[in-house]
Amino acid sequence: MIVPPPARNFYPMKTPRLFFAFAVATLVALTGCNRGEPSRTGASGPANAPTVALVVKTLNNPFFIEMQKGAQEAAQKAGVSLIVQAADREVDVERQMQIIENLIERKVGALCITPSGSREIVPVIVKANKAGIPVLIVDTRADEKALAAAGGKTATFIGSDNYDGGKLAGAFIAQKLGGRGHVAVLEGIPGHETGDSRLRGFREAIAQAPGLKIVASQPANWERDQGFNVFQNILQAHPEVNALFACNDLMALGATEAIAAAGKSGRIVVVGFDAQPEAREAIKKGTMAATVAQFAGRMGAIAVENAAKLLRGETIEAFTPVPIELVK
Amino acid sequence: MDAPPDLQANRGSRREKAGGEVPPGSSSLVTSAASGTTRGGAPRGTAFLAHYARQFGTLAGLVGLSVVLWILTPHFLTVSNLLNVAQQTSINAVIAVGLTFVIISGGIDLSVGSLVAFAGVVLATLLQRGVPVPIALLAGLLTGFGCGVVNGLLITMGRLPPFIATLGMMSVARGGALLFTDGRPVSGFGPGFRWLATGEVLFVPVPILVMVAVYAMAHFVLRRTRFGRYVFAIGGNPEAALLSGVPVRFHQTMVYGLSGFLSAMAAMLLTARLNSAQPIAGINYELDAIAATVIGGTSLMGGQGSVMGTLIGALIMGVLRNGLNLLNVSSFIQQLVIGAVIIVAVLIDMALKQRRR
Amino acid sequence: MTPTAAKPVLSLRGIRKVFPGVVALDGVDLDLHAGEVHVLLGENGAGKSTLMKVISGAITLDAGEIRIDGQPVRIASPRHAQSLGIGIIYQELNLVPHLTAGENIFLGREPGLGAGVIDQRALVRAAQQQLDDLGVAIDARTTVERLSVAQQQMVEVAKALSLEARVLIMDEPTSALTQQEIAELFATIGRLKARGVAVVYISHRMEELFAVGDRVTVLRDGRHVGTRMIRETTMDELVRLMVGRALSEKFPKQRVPAGAEVLRVERLERHGLLHDISFSLRRSEVVGLAGLMGSGRTELARALFGADRIDGGRIFVHGRERRIDSPRSAIDLGLGFLTEDRKSQGLVLVQSVQENLTLPSVGRFSRLGFMRRRDEAQAAAKRIAELRIKTPGPHQRVMHLSGGNQQKVVLGKWLTTEAEIFIFDEPTRGIDVGAKVEIYQLMNQLVARGAAVLMISSELPEILGMSDRILVMRAGRIAGEFNAADATPEKILAAALGRN
Repeated sequence: MIVPPPARNFYPMKTPRLFFAFAVATLVALTGCNRGEPSRTGASGPANAPTVALVVKTLNNPFFIEMQKGAQEAAQKAGVSLIVQAADREVDVERQMQIIENLIERKVGALCITPSGSREIVPVIVKANKAGIPVLIVDTRADEKALAAAGGKTATFIGSDNYDGGKLAGAFIAQKLGGRGHVAVLEGIPGHETGDSRLRGFREAIAQAPGLKIVASQPANWERDQGFNVFQNILQAHPEVNALFACNDLMALGATEAIAAAGKSGRIVVVGFDAQPEAREAIKKGTMAATVAQFAGRMGAIAVENAAKLLRGETIEAFTPVPIELVK
Repeated sequence: MDAPPDLQANRGSRREKAGGEVPPGSSSLVTSAASGTTRGGAPRGTAFLAHYARQFGTLAGLVGLSVVLWILTPHFLTVSNLLNVAQQTSINAVIAVGLTFVIISGGIDLSVGSLVAFAGVVLATLLQRGVPVPIALLAGLLTGFGCGVVNGLLITMGRLPPFIATLGMMSVARGGALLFTDGRPVSGFGPGFRWLATGEVLFVPVPILVMVAVYAMAHFVLRRTRFGRYVFAIGGNPEAALLSGVPVRFHQTMVYGLSGFLSAMAAMLLTARLNSAQPIAGINYELDAIAATVIGGTSLMGGQGSVMGTLIGALIMGVLRNGLNLLNVSSFIQQLVIGAVIIVAVLIDMALKQRRR
Repeated sequence: MTPTAAKPVLSLRGIRKVFPGVVALDGVDLDLHAGEVHVLLGENGAGKSTLMKVISGAITLDAGEIRIDGQPVRIASPRHAQSLGIGIIYQELNLVPHLTAGENIFLGREPGLGAGVIDQRALVRAAQQQLDDLGVAIDARTTVERLSVAQQQMVEVAKALSLEARVLIMDEPTSALTQQEIAELFATIGRLKARGVAVVYISHRMEELFAVGDRVTVLRDGRHVGTRMIRETTMDELVRLMVGRALSEKFPKQRVPAGAEVLRVERLERHGLLHDISFSLRRSEVVGLAGLMGSGRTELARALFGADRIDGGRIFVHGRERRIDSPRSAIDLGLGFLTEDRKSQGLVLVQSVQENLTLPSVGRFSRLGFMRRRDEAQAAAKRIAELRIKTPGPHQRVMHLSGGNQQKVVLGKWLTTEAEIFIFDEPTRGIDVGAKVEIYQLMNQLVARGAAVLMISSELPEILGMSDRILVMRAGRIAGEFNAADATPEKILAAALGRN
C-alpha cells in the first residue's frame, strides 16, 4: 500500500518578507566579514589601485595556496590590489569559466589564470580578449592550437616546463634503482596538459634505461585518497614494484600510506611532483625519495609582477620559465 | 455498446453544458442539492494567488538578493552582467527542469550529471568526426533520452527504487563516457556548433533563449497537458492514479526519459560553451539541480511543485555565485553560503506550512 | 456502576480553541471518572479530534481549564500528557513495525544494563507482564508487523498502561477490526474499567456505544450539546443531538425494479485468493457483498476492476465477453471503483477537488494531449453542485475536506467518467451519520437512473438496509446468496462463518 505524503500547504504572505530578510542578513554579514578580513579573500593593496585577478584551479591544494601567497606578496610590493578565486573542485572547468566571466564583468585590469582545462579555457580567454583584459597563463598551458583557431591570444605563459620535470624524476629513479626495476605511475586526470607533459617526460627518461619497466600506469585524478586506493590496487597486482612516480605530491603521499599499510615502507622509491611542504617532510622521514620542486610561490609572484607591468603599459616576455629542481 | 436505451439517452444529456448551477429537476443526481450549496466558490484571483504563492515567495527572495547585490556592487546590475548570470544559470536550469518533473512524479534522478558527460562526449565525438551538426545534436539528445528511459524501465518494470536505479546509471554513464573517450576531452568542432554558445538573437545569447524556451514548454506541459496532470497525480498518489486508469508505468518511464533528454540538452550547451566535451564533466550537477528544484518549492515527497519555481531557484543559485564572485568572497565561504541558502529556504517553507496546520 | 458520585480524574471546563477562520472548540465541559467508559460522539468536524488533541497535549488551548484530580494543569506537550497519566491510541497506530511488541512497549524507556546496553530479558519479562495483565495472548517477542491490527492495538494499550495511564483515549478503535476482534476489544476495555482506568471512546458506530459505553457526551460544531448516561438514552436521541434534527430513516432505501443484466462473472479465479466466483449484476440493482475481513471481497473488487491479475474465468459486460486487464480498460467499459481506503487509494490528497474529479476522465477533457480547461472546470463545478461537496472552491486541496466530502469526490470521479457499474468498497467507513445518509441517497439516485451497484460492506445493517440482493463470501468463494426480503443477520453470519 502506498501511503500518501503528508499535508503540505502554502502560506502566501509570509515567505517573501522572511526570505528577503534572510537574504539581506546573509549578504550584509558576509560583506561585513569580508571587509574585516581582507587577507582571507585576497584583496590586498591600496583601495584605488588597479586590480589584478588570479584564478587558480582550486584553493584546497597546497600548491595553489603557495601560489596565492607569492602573488599576494608581489601585489603588495607592486601596489596593485589582488583578487584570488578558484572553483571548489580542481576539475570544474565550467565553474572556473563562470568565475572568470564574473571577473570580466567586474572589469579587473588583468587576469592571471591557471587553466583547469587546457582546451576548455579557450572560449573564456577569447571573452577576456574582447573585453580588452590581458590574460596571463600560469603553470598550466592553454591549448595553443585551439587558442589560435579561436583567434584568442594570451600575454604570456609563466611556468615550469613540466616535461623537463618529468624527465628529471625519471632520471632520478633510473639512477636510484641502478637502471633495473619495476616502475609504477600514478597519473593525474587524463587530458590535462600538466599531467600529460610530466608523464611524457618521465616515460622518455625511463625509455633510456632499458632495464626499467613501467608495469602499471593508472590515473588517480590528482587526489590523495585516490592515490592511496589506486596504489594499493597496483601493489596487489604487481608486488614486484620497486619505484613509483606520482604526477603530484598529493597522490604520492596517498601512495606512501598504502606502502606503509603493505609493510613496505622504505622499500619502494617514491617520487612526487610539486615539492609541497608535506612532501618535503616525507622525504626527511624517508617515506618519499624525492619530489620535483615547481616554486608555485615564484610563479604567482612573477604572474602578478608581469600583470602590473602590463597595467603600467610596459611590455613583457611571452614566456617566463620558472626553474625546476629535484628535492631529495 | 449495447447499453440500455435510457442510459444512452442520459449519456447525451449528461454531457456537460454550461457549468455551475444545475436547474432543479434536471438530470442532477440529488435534486435537493439543485440550489448549489457550494460554499462561496473562491474567486479566480484568489485561487491563482494561492497556487503561485510559493513562487512569489521565492521570487521575492531573488529580487531581495538582487537588490542587496545592487547596493553592494556597481558591477551587478548591468545588462551584460545579468545576461552573463542568465547564461551561467542556463545549464543547471535546463537539467533542473527534468529533475523537477522527476521529483514531482515522486522519484529522484541522480544520473543527470553523468548523463551530461555521456551525452556530451557522444555529441562531441560525432561532431569531431564531421557528422553534420543537426544529426550530431539529435544523436546526443537521443542518447540522453535513451539512458533516461532505461532508468525509467529499471524503476517501473524492474521495480527498483529510483534512488538505486539512477545511482547505478550515474556510475554506468560516467564509466561509459570515460571508456568512450579513453578519459580524454573531445574537442575540435566546426564553428557552426559553437553558435549555440556564442550566438545571439536580438542581442540575447542563444543559451538564454534555449533556457527560456525549455521553461516555457515545460511549464505548459506541466500545467496544461494530460501528461503534466498525470505526473502530478502519480507523484501525489500512485495507487489512486493507477485505480483512476492512469497509465502509471508509461508516464513514469517517460518522466525519466525527459530528464535524460534535458540532461543531454544541457550537455549540448555545456559542450558548446567549453568548445570541448569532458568525460568528467557534470560531476555534482545532480546536486545543483536538486538544490534549484528544492529552493523553488518542489516537494521531495512528490505531487507538488512547479518549473517556474525551479527557474527562480536556479537563478537564485546563479545570482548568489555571481554576486559572491563580484564581491570577491572566498570560494570556501561561497560553498557555505549556498548550503545555508538551501537549508534556510526549505526551513522557512516548512515552518510556514507547520503554522498553517 | 455509577461513577458520577466520585471525584473526576480529569475535568475540562470551558475549553476553547480557535484555528484561523474556525472556532474548533467553544466552551466545552467534560468530566471523566475512574473506571468509566466515556463515549465522545459527534459528526466529523464537531470537534472530537481537536478536544482529544487538547487533552493529549498535541495542541494548546486558547481558553478554559483542565484539572487532574482537582489540580489545575497546563498540558504542554504529548510527553507531558504522558507523565500526567494520559494515554492516547490513534486510529493510525504508532508502532515501529520491525521491532517486537515488547520493544515497542518500552520504546525510549528500555531497561538498561548500563552503558546503553538493553536488558533484553527484563524488557521481555516486563512487557509480557503488561500483555498478560491485559488478558491478551500476545508473545512480547513477536515482531509487530506480524501481529493483526487488533493485536497491534493491544500492544498500544499495553504501552499506555506501562506508562501508568489513568486516562486512555481510543480513537475509532474498531474501524479496522472484525466482529470477533471487536468483542475481544470490549472485553479488554472491561478489564481496564475494572482497573480504574477512565476510557474516552470515540466512534462513529452507534451500536458499539451501547455495548461498551457508560456515559456519552455529544459535540456539535465545537460545542458541548449534552451528556447522557448510556442506559438512559436512545439512539434516536443521540442522533438528534448530533445532527440537530431527527433523521427520518437510517437507511433510506428506495426499491426500483431491476433491469437487464449488465455484468456477469463466470468462474473467476485468482490463485490463492478467489475461487470459482460466479454472479451477475443487473441494472438498478444493489448487490451487497458481505463477508468477514480477509474473505476476498476487496480482492474480488480489484480483480473485476483490472487492478489485480485474473488467473481464470470470464467477465461479460452488457452481454459481451470482455478482457479487463487494467483499471483503464475497466473504466472504458463503464466501471467505477470506490476504494475501501479513500486516502491511500481513492484520492490524490495533495491535488485539488477539480483535479481529482476529472482524473479518470482526463482523456475526455484533453485534445491531442492538451487540457481543455474550461470544459474541465465546468464539469467539476457541476459535480460539486450536484453532489453538494462542501468546499471553498474547486481548487481546494482534497486533503482539507471532511471524510464525507472526500467520499463524494471519489463518487464524483466516477460520475464524470459516466460509469454505469459501481463497485463501492466500504462506502461509509469513517463517515459521520449525516454524510452516511447522503451517500445512501446518492446510491439511490444512481440506481434510479439505471446504474448497477456492487456494495462491499462490513456493517451488516448497511448490507441489509441498502441491498436488493446479498452475496456472502467466505475464504475466496461465494458462500451464499440471499434476497433482501429473506436475509437476516443470522443467515448472513452463518454463511460468512461457514456454519450452515
